[in-house]
Amino acid sequence: MTDYTIFYKSQLSVVGNWSKENEWDLFISAYNSSKRVSDVFAKVRAGHKSWLLFPEYNYAETEYSGLNNYYAGAYTNEADYILGYVGTLNLNLSRIRICIDLTGFIRPYQLFLTKLLWERGVKRFDALYSEPNVYKEREKTKFSSGAGGKVRQVAGFEGAHSANTSNDMLIIGSGYDDELIARVSYYKDAARKIQIFGLPSLRADMYQENELRAQLAEESLGPSLSYFAPANDPFVTASVLSEITRALEKQKQITNLYLSPLASKAQVLGFSLFHYLEGKQRPTSIIYPFRPHYSRETTEGLSRIWKYTVEV
Amino acid sequence: MNTFDGNPFNLTKANDYSDKQILNYWVDVPGENGFAGMIKPTSPMPIILLGGKGSGKTHLMRYCSYEIQKLRWPAKPTLDSIKTDRYLGVYMRCEGLNADRFNEKGQQSEIWSAIFEYYMELYLAELLLSHVDDFFNTSDAWQKSQTKLCRAILALFDTPQTANINTLKQVIGLLVSLRKKIDIQVNNCAISRRLNIPITVTRSRLIFGIPRLLSELTPLQDLQFLYLIDELENFNEQQQKYIFTLVRERRGPSSFRIGSRLYGIRTYSTFSANEELKEGSEYEKLLLDERLRDEPKRYSEFAKRLLASRIKGVSLSPSSEDLVASAVKSLPQMFEERNDENFWEAETTPVVSKFGEGEFPYFKKLRQNLIHAARAGRLRDVHSEQQIDRIIQKLKVDKYSLLEKVNVLLLYQDWSQNKELLDAASTISNLCRQFAERRPKSGRYFETYDHFAQDLLAQFFRESNQPQRYCGIDSIIHMSMGLPRHLLIVLKHIYNWAIFNGEEPFKSRPISITSQQKGIFEAAEWFYRDAKNKGQDGSVLQESINRLAELFREVRFSDKPVECSLCSFSVDLSKVNTTTKKYIDLAKKYSLLIDISGGQRDRNSMRVDAKLQLNSLLAPLWDLPIYRRGALPLDPSLADAIFDPGQSENFKRLLNARIVAMNAPFEYKRKLSRTAQRELFTH
Repeated sequence: MTDYTIFYKSQLSVVGNWSKENEWDLFISAYNSSKRVSDVFAKVRAGHKSWLLFPEYNYAETEYSGLNNYYAGAYTNEADYILGYVGTLNLNLSRIRICIDLTGFIRPYQLFLTKLLWERGVKRFDALYSEPNVYKEREKTKFSSGAGGKVRQVAGFEGAHSANTSNDMLIIGSGYDDELIARVSYYKDAARKIQIFGLPSLRADMYQENELRAQLAEESLGPSLSYFAPANDPFVTASVLSEITRALEKQKQITNLYLSPLASKAQVLGFSLFHYLEGKQRPTSIIYPFRPHYSRETTEGLSRIWKYTVEV
Repeated sequence: MNTFDGNPFNLTKANDYSDKQILNYWVDVPGENGFAGMIKPTSPMPIILLGGKGSGKTHLMRYCSYEIQKLRWPAKPTLDSIKTDRYLGVYMRCEGLNADRFNEKGQQSEIWSAIFEYYMELYLAELLLSHVDDFFNTSDAWQKSQTKLCRAILALFDTPQTANINTLKQVIGLLVSLRKKIDIQVNNCAISRRLNIPITVTRSRLIFGIPRLLSELTPLQDLQFLYLIDELENFNEQQQKYIFTLVRERRGPSSFRIGSRLYGIRTYSTFSANEELKEGSEYEKLLLDERLRDEPKRYSEFAKRLLASRIKGVSLSPSSEDLVASAVKSLPQMFEERNDENFWEAETTPVVSKFGEGEFPYFKKLRQNLIHAARAGRLRDVHSEQQIDRIIQKLKVDKYSLLEKVNVLLLYQDWSQNKELLDAASTISNLCRQFAERRPKSGRYFETYDHFAQDLLAQFFRESNQPQRYCGIDSIIHMSMGLPRHLLIVLKHIYNWAIFNGEEPFKSRPISITSQQKGIFEAAEWFYRDAKNKGQDGSVLQESINRLAELFREVRFSDKPVECSLCSFSVDLSKVNTTTKKYIDLAKKYSLLIDISGGQRDRNSMRVDAKLQLNSLLAPLWDLPIYRRGALPLDPSLADAIFDPGQSENFKRLLNARIVAMNAPFEYKRKLSRTAQRELFTH
C-alpha cells in the first residue's frame, strides 16, 4: 500500500507574489474563458509557458490567435493530442521543472498528460488547481454537451483485465454532471458501483448541489455505496481509493476494477496517481464518458489556489 | 426520492444480480415451455435476442449460463446433471472486453481487427475451459482423458506451444498469459505507437475446435456448447462482423445466442464476401419485449408472478407456488383503484365540492366561447347572454360531472356542424337524462360516452388542477409495455412513496392512489431523462418526443377531440424525409415509440401506414392516456416537423393548423354573415 500522506500540498496566494520556489521551466495550462485560468497563467513565472487549446471548447482561431505559445492540435483523441503537443517541445522533460495548471483541463487530456510524464521519466512535477467561488448555475450548471462520444478506457490507463467478470467494481468520482455518471454506469452496468463524493467540498454548499445532481443518475447506478474525499485533495483521494479497494478485496477478490473520475480536477489527479502506483497490481482501468463539447466557463470567482507536488 | 431499505423492488437490473439472485428471481412466462421455448438452449440454430433496455435479455441469457446451471443442480455437478440439461452455457458480456481499445493509436484498422479476433478466440476459449475444468474437477474418470485433451487443444494452435502442459488448468494459464501479452501491448501502444503481437491461432480454431475435442475425447458427447454473447451493442461494426462470421462458420457441437439492444446491431454482414447472415437458415431472431407485448395475457400473468415473488421474498419453486399464487390473486387488492361506478361519481364529486357555488371551469370556458362567437356573429341562433345561460342550464346534471362533460362535448360537436345550439342543448339534455336513467348500450350518447369518458375525465382533472389518476395493477403492468425492468422501476418508486406517506405497502391497506401517482410520475421522469443518455441522438429524440406528446396533449384537451385515448399516430413513411425516418426508427429502437404490428389503414386511400404508440410510461408527463384506441394520422410535413430537428421550426404553425378545427369557434366552417348578428347581440 502506498502512503499518500507524504505528498506535499500547499496553498498559493491569490493576490500576492509567489516565492522563487514557485518558478518552473515549463508551465502548461488549458485555455478556456475562466478568469481563474487566465489570472494564474499571467501570474506564473516560467521559462516556457504553453496554452493548450482543446477542440472540445470550440474556440475559433480568431479567438486565440493573439495568444503566445499555444498548441491547437485538431486531435480529439487524448493520446494523439498530447503526443502532438509534447512533440512540439524541444525539451528533455525528465530534467526540467514542470508545472501543470489542471483548472481548465478536460479530464482525459489531463490523465494522459500525467501518464506520459511518468512514462517519460518525470519523477516530480507540480500541479495547480484554482477553486472557484461558485458554479454559475449552481446545481444546474451545464459542463458538457452535444451528441456523440463514447464511454471508453482512457489511453494509457487500460489495464490487463480478467475474463472473469463476476465481481467487477466501478468507482466513480461523482461530480455535478449526472449525465456523465449515468453513461459510465450504463457502460459498466454489471459492475458493483461505488461513488466518491467531494467532501469537504470546494465551498460549503457544493456538496449538497453535487448530491442533488448525482441523485438524478440513481436508476442507472443501481445500488451503490458512497465514500468521501476532499474535493481539493488528490492525495487523500488516492488514499481513499486505496482504502476502498483494500476493504473490498478483504470481502472478495475484485475481478476487474474500473475507475471513473468525473469530479474536480484535483480528484482526477488522485485517480491517476492511484492507478499509476497501485493499478498495475490488479486489472484496473480508468474509463471516461467522452463528450464532444465542454462549456468554456462554468464558474465565478477565484477563492483559493492549490499547489500539489507529485513525486513518484 | 431516496430508496428505502427493504424495498422488494430495489434491484431492477439483471446485471446487478448475483448468480444466486438470478436463480432466485427467475420467473418463467406461462405456457409454451416458457422462456426456454423462446431461447431454445439445446437447438443448434443460433438465435439473436433483441430487445429494449430492461426487456430481460441478460436475465434470460445468464439463466442459461453454466454458473446458473450449476446452481440449479441439486448438489455437486455430475455428468448426469449436465446431460439432463443437454447444453453448457458459456456466458460473456461484450462490455468486459473493453473493445474500444482495439482502435486508433496510430494503427491501421485491419491490424486491430486481427488482434481483436485473436483476443476473442483466447477469451472465449478461456471461459469455456474454466467451466469444463470446474465441472470435471469432481470426476475421477476425467483425470484419465485430461492429458490427451490438453495435447489435442495445444495442437489447435498454429505455432507450437512449448510449455509443459498436462492439465486443463495449465491450458487456461497459457491462454491467460497469451491474452495478457496482448493487453500490455495494446495498452502501451497509446504511448509507444508500436504493436508486435504474433497471432498463434487461426480464427475459430479454438472456439469450435475445443467443443469438438470435448465431444470426441470426453464423456460430453451429445452436449451443445452454447456461447451466450451478451451486450453486442458494445462492439463496433467490424467486431460485430467478426461475431456474425463465427455464427455463419459455426460447426457442431457449438452454437450461439447473441443478445443486443434493438439499436445495437450495426451490421449483419460477415467476412464471407460481405454477405449478410441469413435469417431463417443461419439464425433466428427473437424480439423479446415485442413478443411479450404481443401476448398481453401471458405477459400480465408473468408480470404478476414476478411482482408476487418479489413481494413475498421467495423464489418460485414447487414449495413456494401456493404462496406466490395467493399473492398473485390478491395483487389487485394491494393497489387502490379508481371507482368507475355511476359515471365516476366517486372520482368527481370530491373535486366538485372544492368549487362550492362557483361555475365549474368547463362551463366557464363554454360560456366564454359562446359569448365571443355570438359577439362575432358566428352563431346561428344565439344572440344574448340569456340564451347562453339557457344552454348551460340544459347541459347541467346533478351529481354526475362526467355527464356534464359529455354534454359539453356533444354541444361542441353540434356547434362545429353549425347546428342551432338552443335546440341542440335541449336534445342533449334529453339524451343525457335517458342515458343516466336507462343506461342504453347504443345511440349517440352512449357512443360518445364509451369513446371519450376517459379523455373527458382527464380534461375534468386538468381543468380542476388535479393530477391525473394513473393507478391499479393492470394499468401499471400495461405501462411497462413488455419491459419487466420498467415494471420493477415503477414499483420501486411506488413503494418508496408509500413508505414516505406512512403507508404499509402489501400489508394491510392498499397502496393509495396518491403514492401510485407519485411513483409512476417519478419513473416516467426517469425514463424521459434517460432518453438523453441514449447515444448520440438522445437530445434530438427527447425533443421529438416533446413535440409529439404536445400534439397528442393539444388534441386530447381540445374542445372537440377527433380521436379518443390518443397516444398513437399513423404515417406514410414513404413520404417523410430521411431524417424523420431515422429518428422514428431510433425512437422505436430505444422503446420511446412502440411499433403497432399491422399498421393503420388510411381511410381514404386504403394504404397501410406505419402505426406507432408513445411508450405508455411517458404518458403521465403530458397527462396522456396509457391505453391506445384512436390513432392520429400525421401528414408528412407534420411528421417531419416533429421528428426532423431541421424542420422543427414549422411545428407550432402546423400544430395550430391541425387543432384549429378541434377548438371553438371551429372557425374553418363558419360561413354566416357576421355583422348583422353582432348588431343584434349588442341590443
